[in-house]
Amino acid sequence: MDMVSMGLLAAMGALATIAGTSEDLESDVGSQSNPNSQVQLAAQVGHTHRIYNKAISGEPPSNALYAALAAVTASVLMSDPYGMNAFFSIAVGALVAAVFNGILSMTSYMGRNTSQARFNQHVYLDVLRSHTTTIMAHAYITAFCVVAISYIMTAPWLPIQHPFPLPVIAFTWGIALGAIGSSTGDVHYGAEREFQQYPFGAGLNAANSGDIVTKAEAGLRSSIDNAWFCAKFGGPVTGLAFGLIVFLDNWRTTIFDPATQGWYAILTGILIVILLNVYNRILEIRSKKRYGPYPEYVGDIKA
Amino acid sequence: MSVAAGGGESKIDKTKLTMYGLGGGVLGIYLAHVLNMVTGTGYFSFLAGLGAIAAVLMGADAVRRVCAYGIGTGVPSIGMMAMGMGLVAAWFGLAVAGVAGPIIGIAIAMGFGYFVGMLANKIIKMNIPVMEEVLMSLGGAGAMVIIGLSVVISGQIGYQDMLNDVVFTGYIAIVFIAGALAILQPFNANLGPDETQDRTLVLAISTGALGMFAAGIGSLVTVGVGGAVLTMLIAAAIWLKAFLWFFKLVKRDSSGVVGTGLLPEGGL
Repeated sequence: MDMVSMGLLAAMGALATIAGTSEDLESDVGSQSNPNSQVQLAAQVGHTHRIYNKAISGEPPSNALYAALAAVTASVLMSDPYGMNAFFSIAVGALVAAVFNGILSMTSYMGRNTSQARFNQHVYLDVLRSHTTTIMAHAYITAFCVVAISYIMTAPWLPIQHPFPLPVIAFTWGIALGAIGSSTGDVHYGAEREFQQYPFGAGLNAANSGDIVTKAEAGLRSSIDNAWFCAKFGGPVTGLAFGLIVFLDNWRTTIFDPATQGWYAILTGILIVILLNVYNRILEIRSKKRYGPYPEYVGDIKA
Repeated sequence: MSVAAGGGESKIDKTKLTMYGLGGGVLGIYLAHVLNMVTGTGYFSFLAGLGAIAAVLMGADAVRRVCAYGIGTGVPSIGMMAMGMGLVAAWFGLAVAGVAGPIIGIAIAMGFGYFVGMLANKIIKMNIPVMEEVLMSLGGAGAMVIIGLSVVISGQIGYQDMLNDVVFTGYIAIVFIAGALAILQPFNANLGPDETQDRTLVLAISTGALGMFAAGIGSLVTVGVGGAVLTMLIAAAIWLKAFLWFFKLVKRDSSGVVGTGLLPEGGL
């Protein structure tokens, strides 16, 4: 393991952490993914709202699109007749991805709210103007970081030199990133922020579906408020999760050469998974002991 | 029809849309191939993109029909399934049948779709009456979108050329995902009880044009600047027209498109 590989590994981990954070916040401003169903239901149960409804698809496919598009644009600009510098190529690619993101976001917001006309859900143009640019800015950061990671993995002058082309690697990382954002970050926006009038951790009673918070501390709740809230914990923790995945996964193939010490790399991977499982179990038991069951619960453990 | 998922009545008949989709898709793909071969340029690649837009229209309407049975969160999955079936069948067709590849690929994809639909209804017992027919349309649309956008990048039909230009460069990633989003986004973005067919289909033109634009970016390297810029300009013009049309329909259908304002009373 040489110094260059170590430096690249650290850079990839840092880029992944930033990508994870911005990806989660991007989906929170737009209410994409799992929490979106509650925003969709809100108007149907009588709570009209001014929350952005960005139903592009699940986070994995949409992030795969931004990453793949940015990577295709970057790889075109870097290739033979154009020969642009990698840094600027990736920046232009991320810009194209952000524009696509903005277009898909706007059409989702307008389309979904219009399809709820019978529930009196309006289309607010000021929400569209202020939120779409925020969403695009986050998507730009995400796409830039993901393509940068992919570039480090594929560039012919760097040590990793993955055999797959840049867009395919970016596509795969986009799906992985979306999946992490969806599984890690969503709970902090969906269960915690949308339902902050109910005790956190109580689960969502079916009778409360769609009863999301539509009024803020002062005035009406906007999705930018939600991003502010999620930026405190949900976003960074998503970044940490994705950063750890990218870092640990590449770390084991950096310290062990996959060509000659492949089995060591595989065993290290298995060991990491076992250790994380044990750690999660300890964390779960400690939390249960410390915080106990919910007040309403009168089951086998004394409340 | 489920109220939660939406899917109002259809003004345009599904048979007509399927015919236009299949006809337009195949015609666009072959015209691009033949005209590019005859003139020896890449200027006509955009025709394959137009074919892909026709296929997207057919696919988006099929998504709309099946998802009206209440598959709310399953809309993206249906789109992915369409592209999965289309991808395998399209490349198989291209590999075995040369220039006839697109037609063979589309036929296999449609057969594939029918079979998957039959499995869903008979074995898993989903009992959705339109399942077989819809998955058949979706498989065909997926294959046409994959081939159409691939021909935009490669400029011609030919297994080895397409492998070199589309797969080995990695541009297949954007062909797959932009095509999938083009098919699933129109209904997904309009999901709700007051969804209308014309609004969904106009959005399908817009997302199809976005897919064509993305493929046009890839073709900058493969078919040359002239053909690629032409593809991107035509795609941008179609997108702009469709987007403005969509906004007009939003204003027509919405309970209110307002600059700003407080919350109105709920409709319940």
